[in-house]
Order: sequence, then C-alpha cells, then structure tokens
Amino acid sequence: MIVEGTHEFNVSATELWTILMDPEVLAKITPGVSKLELLGEDLYKTVSEIKIGPVKGAFKGKLEVIDKNEPSSFTIQMEQLSKIGNAHAKVEMNILSLDENRSSLEFAGKANLSGLIARTGQRVLSGVANVIIKEVFSSLEAHIIENKIA
Amino acid sequence: MTKYIGKSIKRVEDKRFITGQGRYTDDIKINGMTHGYFVRSPYAHAKVKSVNIDAASKMPGVIKIFVGSDIPETIAGVPCGWQVDFKNGDTMKEPPHPLLVRNKVRHVGDGVAFVIAETRAQAKDAAENVDVDYEILDAVTCPKKATEAGAAQVHADAPGNLCFDWELGSPKDEVAAALASAAHVCELDFSNQRVVPNAIEPRSAIGHYDSAYDKYTLYTSTQNPHLIRLLMCAFVLGIPEHKVRVVGPDVGGGFGSKIFHYAEEALVTWSSKEINRPIKWTAERSESFLTDAHGRDHVSNAKMGFDADGKIVALQAYTYANLGAYLSTFAPAVPTYLHGTLMQGLYTTPKVNVDVKAAFTHTCAVDAYRGAGRPEATYLLERLLDLAALEMNVDPAELRFKNFIPPFDGVEQEGYQTQVALQYDSGNYAPVLERALEMVGYDKFREEQAAQSNGKLLGIGFSTYIEACGIAPSAVVGALGARAGLFEVAQVRVQPTGKVSVFTGSHSHGQGHETTFAQIVADKMGIPIDDVEIIHGDSDSVAFGMGTYGSRSLAVGGSAIVNSIDKVLEKGAKIAAHLLEASADDLEYAEGKWTVKGTDKSVAFGDVSLTAYVPHNYPEGMEPGLDFNAFYDPANFTYPFGAHVAIVEIDKETGEVKLKRFIAVDDVGNVINPMIVDGQIHGGLAQGIGQALHEGTVYDDTGQLINGSYMDYCMPRADDFPSFEIDRTVTPCPHNPLGVKGAGEAGTIGSTPAVVNAVIDALWKGGFKVKDVPMPMTPERVWTAMNN
Repeated sequence: MIVEGTHEFNVSATELWTILMDPEVLAKITPGVSKLELLGEDLYKTVSEIKIGPVKGAFKGKLEVIDKNEPSSFTIQMEQLSKIGNAHAKVEMNILSLDENRSSLEFAGKANLSGLIARTGQRVLSGVANVIIKEVFSSLEAHIIENKIA
Repeated sequence: MTKYIGKSIKRVEDKRFITGQGRYTDDIKINGMTHGYFVRSPYAHAKVKSVNIDAASKMPGVIKIFVGSDIPETIAGVPCGWQVDFKNGDTMKEPPHPLLVRNKVRHVGDGVAFVIAETRAQAKDAAENVDVDYEILDAVTCPKKATEAGAAQVHADAPGNLCFDWELGSPKDEVAAALASAAHVCELDFSNQRVVPNAIEPRSAIGHYDSAYDKYTLYTSTQNPHLIRLLMCAFVLGIPEHKVRVVGPDVGGGFGSKIFHYAEEALVTWSSKEINRPIKWTAERSESFLTDAHGRDHVSNAKMGFDADGKIVALQAYTYANLGAYLSTFAPAVPTYLHGTLMQGLYTTPKVNVDVKAAFTHTCAVDAYRGAGRPEATYLLERLLDLAALEMNVDPAELRFKNFIPPFDGVEQEGYQTQVALQYDSGNYAPVLERALEMVGYDKFREEQAAQSNGKLLGIGFSTYIEACGIAPSAVVGALGARAGLFEVAQVRVQPTGKVSVFTGSHSHGQGHETTFAQIVADKMGIPIDDVEIIHGDSDSVAFGMGTYGSRSLAVGGSAIVNSIDKVLEKGAKIAAHLLEASADDLEYAEGKWTVKGTDKSVAFGDVSLTAYVPHNYPEGMEPGLDFNAFYDPANFTYPFGAHVAIVEIDKETGEVKLKRFIAVDDVGNVINPMIVDGQIHGGLAQGIGQALHEGTVYDDTGQLINGSYMDYCMPRADDFPSFEIDRTVTPCPHNPLGVKGAGEAGTIGSTPAVVNAVIDALWKGGFKVKDVPMPMTPERVWTAMNN
C-alpha cells in the first residue's frame, strides 16, 4: 500500500519540525492512538484502535523516528501488530520551507500489510489511509492554531 | 432394453441436499469431541524465531497446543504422488512439506501451531494468543520471476526455485525450422491466471482414535478416501492401513481441490491419539482461500506457424508453471502430462514441442483444478488459432475445418497418434463445430457484427477443444510418473431378496453418482431403480477406490460396476439354469428374468438371488451367495471434445464486457443421464467463463493474498450469464463397456478461450488491434486496451 501526499502549514519549517518531534503532539494527532510511550531515543511504543469498514482491531506496536536531518527530513518506521493482521510501514517525511511563516510537509512511503487486513478490503485501504492522513493533518493544523492562540 | 439409461432421471441425492439433510464432515459430532484451530503464518516468507504458547496454553478450555517441534521426526511430511523428471533425466526437486513448520514459513497460511480446545471459539481465542516471533524475508510469487537470478529462494534444495524443467514432443530444432519456413507465425505472450477453487463446503476433517480397537477413523471432506488412507498411512504417519478407516461423507464440491492429501488430515488423525479424544477442524472461508490448493497460474509464450493455405505447420509452447510453496499431491502432473500432452488439440499439426519450467514460489500450492492442465493447453491453442485468423484475415471457423484431424472411430480406423505421446480413442471433430455454427446463425451474425453502430463492439470467439479424461491406464500413468495405479473398483452385492447394494470407489461430491450409477445397474440387471443403492466414500465398506477427478467416475468407475454386474449375471445364469433344468447357454436374460430361449419357461432375478443365499436346491459344487467385485483398469484415456462459441458485446465507453450468448456443442460419448450431463456442462461453463471475465487470485509482491474474501475475489453470479445454448454429438468411446467419455471438465476447458477470443474479435473489428487482454477481462483492463 502506497501512501503519499503534501500538506501546507502556517508555521515555519523549524517550528513544524519541533511540533512533529513532540511525542505528545504525535499521540494527540494520530487517529486511534491512545498511547505513545517513550521506549528509548526516538522509539515509541504505541497502542491504537482502528476501525476501517468491516475491519476493526487493537494494534500494538513500535514507532521509530530515524534518519533525522533537522529541520528538513526524517523517516517514520512503524510496526503494528494485531489479531487481525500486521502493518509494517516506512514513510519518508520532507519539510520544505515556503517562507518564514509557511512550510509544507511532503510524505511518501509504503505500508506492507499482512493477515486478515491484507486479504480483506486491501484494495480500498489506500483510499482509507489517505483519509486517515488527512485527519492527521487537520488535527495538526488545529493543534497549531490552538497553540498559537495560546 | 434401456428403461433408465439415456433418461433424465431426477437425482435421488437431491432430496437430502435441498432439505438440509446432507451429512457433511462438519455435521458429524462424536462424544468427547474437541476442536482444533490453526495458527497460520501472516507472512509469505519468514524465519520463525520463536513460538511462545505459554499464555495461550493457560486459556480456558485449551487441551493441547502442538508446534512444529512437537511432531516426531518419524512422521514424514505430506508426500507428492507424481514424479516428473528434468529433461536431462534428473529427478524433480521434492522438498519436504511438514505438517507444521519448524523454523521457516513459506506462504501466507503455512501452519505454525495447532491449538486444541473444548470448543471452537476457545481454540480460536487461544490461537490468537500464540505469540510467534517472525523475521520477515523477501518473497517471490511469479513463476517466471522465481527462476531469475536474485529471486528469493523458497527451498534451499531447489536452486533457482526450479522443481523441474521438462519438455515433450518433436525436437525443438525441427519445430524451429518449420516455423522459420512458415508463411505466417502467430506469437502470443500471455498468462493463465491463478484461481481459487471455492468449493461451497470448506475443507473439514475429524480425527478419531479409538483405543478400545486401536483404530483410527478420519472423516474428511475429500474426493478420494482410499487414496488419502494410503498416502497418510504409508507415507506420513506410518500407521498400518487396516488400522485406519477414512470416510468422505457428503462433500459440497471439490473441483479438484479435495483430491489431495492435506497436512490437516494427518494432523487431526495423529493428534487424536496423542490427546486420546476426537478432534474436529473445519476451515474458515479465509483459510480456504489461503490453503486449498489453487489452480492454473501459467506464464506462457507460444508460436504457431501456418503455411500459405492456412495449414498449421508447427507449434512451440514455453510455459512457466507455478507450483506454490510445496508440492501438492498431483501438482507435477498438471503442467506436464495433463497439459503438454494436449498440445496437439484437434489439429494435424506435424511438429509440436512443449517446454515447461515448474517453479516454487511463496504462494499456496497449485494443483489440479477442474480441467487441470487441459484448460491451460486449450487456452494456449485456441487463443493462437483465433488470433492467427485475425492476423491472416481468414475466418476462424474455416481455419479450424482446414486443420481438423479426419474422423476415426477407434474400431475400424485406428486411434490418432499425436506428436505429444497420446493416442486419441475416437473422434469426429467437424460436426461439433458445424452444429455450433448452425446454432449461432453464423453468416447472419457476421452481417450483424459488420453493421453494428450503437457504440458497442460485437465479437465472436471460438474454441474447439479436446481433453484426456477417464484417468486412466495404470501402466501408462505409471510410465509417466504416477506413484499410484488409476484403476477403479466396484462391488455389486445382490441381497437375498434381490435388492442390490453397489459399492463404488468413485466418490460423489456433487456429480450425482447415486443416480447415474443406479440407472446403469437397474438397466443392466433389469430391475427397478428403487431396488438399487449406491454406497461410496467409506474405506471400511468399499473394498478400494481411486476416487473422483479427471472426469473418470463413469468411464472408469462405471465400467467397474458393469464388469461386476457381468459376473453377477453369469453366476445367476448358472443358478437359473439349474432351477429351470436347462443349459445356461440356452437362457437369455431380459427384464429381470432368465428365460429358456423360445419357451415361456423363466425364473425371476429375485428367485435366483434367494436361491443363492438359501442354497437348498443348488448347482453342485457352486459357492452360495451373489456378490462380485471388479477392478477395472482402462485401456486408454477417453477423449471428449467439443466446440464452444461465445458472443460478447463491449461497451466502448466503460470497457464492460457483456456475454450475450454462449453456445456449447460437446461430445462426451454416450450419455447416461442427459440432465446431469447438462448440469455438468452448465457448471463447467460458469467456472470457465468466470475465469475469463471475473476471477483472479492476486498476490502482492510481498506474497500477501490481497483478495482473500468474497468482498475482494469476484465469483461469477447467475446474472453474469445468458441462458446457455447447448447440444451434443455422440462419438462413443471404443474401449470401455459404456462407450462413455466423461463430462465433468468439458465446460471449463472449452469456455475460457472462447470468451477471451470473442473480446479480442470485438476489439479488432472495432479497430483496436490488441493481441491480448489479460484475464480476468475486467472493464478497466478492456478500457485500457482500447485507450492505450
């Protein structure tokens, strides 16, 4: 499953980097994630609940931030395990500075699914993933606005 | 004297099936029965670093959890029943196929642990808590890519993933020379995609060890109980065969996928002694998708050469066949002796060479699926013929008439010796196509096609197929690598009151044997059909059997019944002669009684049977009883053939293909029950057309089956089909007593290329000169073909 896209934010590249590196922010904006627990440097334990059409499951896994190149790029490596199947994903993130108050985030990666979630409805999952990613960015925007007001 | 043969007698088995009283394996309950559930690999290729069962073992109801290392070394893996050798004489690669893996999984669904609990739900809950630590490895799923350098390796002892590299027919240089001098060469690269068998009843097995008798019973959803017993006892578990009873009760469809001996059968049998309780396992639908042996999956290149008059001069076929991760029971035979041997088709092609490379991949095993090799051969040949006709701008029907083998009956004229090992039994090929053209209204159709201007593209496709059925002479299949004989067994037991119990080694899983076989017995013995009962599927009541596949039940199993009846009637005549105080030579048997020729002195069948069991007034020295069996080993395969024609309409805007008409004229030899044969043809057509337009198994490049449910895998529905227009010609088989050839696979074999050819014809006539649209021909693929 391929995921890719771009989203613009009304913060500078450096600010965006700082926000994205905050585990609390990550936990807050990622749909279904109920817990993001620090295991080590840039390595988190995740617990999440996801429901996509007929497929519903509690996922446990690891999220790791690797290849950090502040403030322009990093890669998220994720392993999510559940009774209904597993997901292994690697997504490269590129932050581009547009001007001093605006930046954009480009992401591109691949998620390998296995188990029941791989063989049931996978053909519609890319669409679902993009919906989830949009939700992530909406939440992130909301978070930025909230914090700016604050 | 045919009161029943040739009549559409309603199926006696249908009453129990349509009233919900059929008894399938999963319906069977045994006191103390436990339930098993498999922990299966979610990955196509991975090292199993550890399997932790601690938490799962403590869960409610859990009785035992077996992992790979619990299976004793003395238990072998699942065996392969057919050996195919490399061109150079080397034996095929035959890597072990363990009941549960120990340290490596090789396809999604590979068995890692077997959880046994008091209830099915408990077993499943516990299975979800078995913790397996995998190290994921690269996978390969395409048979051609699997043989390329750098591909992930499935088995260490099969270098390049090659199981064997095989060829058959004329020397390649002679074929090449004939192609080089041909006036036209038609070349096609194509795939025959993988399909999932999708029997309505999932596989199911119950193992039951009875310590009182030291005897095992295996109930299993199978097409051949005796073969399962032989393979499991002798090659897997090492249990004496007489200590095992295998029962294949009512079975809800198999299409080949239930021929094979599966690991689950051996595992429930073995485990039932380990825990000293019966164990039932029934596959979930998702499990069926992952583990029932799949069908087809060939990647091919073929060239057919024609002279200036349109006569075929040579055929060269190259195929990569996917065998999946492990060798299933008959897997090696399918792309070779059931595929290469059919490359002559109905044509006089003087030079034919077939080259097949069979590869292991990280996918579910591939084995015989309705037609098994013959659909792939027919697809290759018939696609080339219709495409060549388009390229040469000649009529595809005319091109076939020009190349048909002339008629031969196998009695006055010898059988036809092909370039690819087989000798056809009898054939008269032009009439099936003539009749099909008549039914189509061919000339009128071509006018309609030329005149069409409604934004739709109309096309017609042909397929004139031949298949080898009635599998088959033991000595021949033995020479070709079969590790079993392929005869069939019947026992005709006349009860004292004249009622008849027939025990057959053929197995019915939807074919209607209880009706067809009873029609034969009733007619041959001159008794009412209600006096006959057909018993099958139980190794303790049926002496032996080789089961049902390859359209063999009637040709081989039915012939064994006829031979048993002959023995019964021969002895009966002697008893009758004694009672009538006449010579047996002076008697004739008709309508259930023996009559002294030219007199009205007669004795009825029931009187003779009673005498045989109450032998007070009885021929001196003759044994009592009237009960005979026969082992029938045929002299040859049988060779049904036919002409299938599809008419399709393509929507130019959407690429949607609508099947407008389907005409099938089949020659399956003599017909016992026309209604049942029609049903077989209809079902076969649905499956073959389904492959052309709807079905296709998709593995992604990590080896995940991504359409493993009915939401994702497209099965054809009734409203995808027009009302089929079918007819028959009859060319009897010269070498079996019934003159029958077999009808189970004909529909599937002939139909797929006819539909695809019709789509290609529609595209060409619409100005899109595409050679191939890969199956299944979805709207998206057809649209893309028109818009590229």
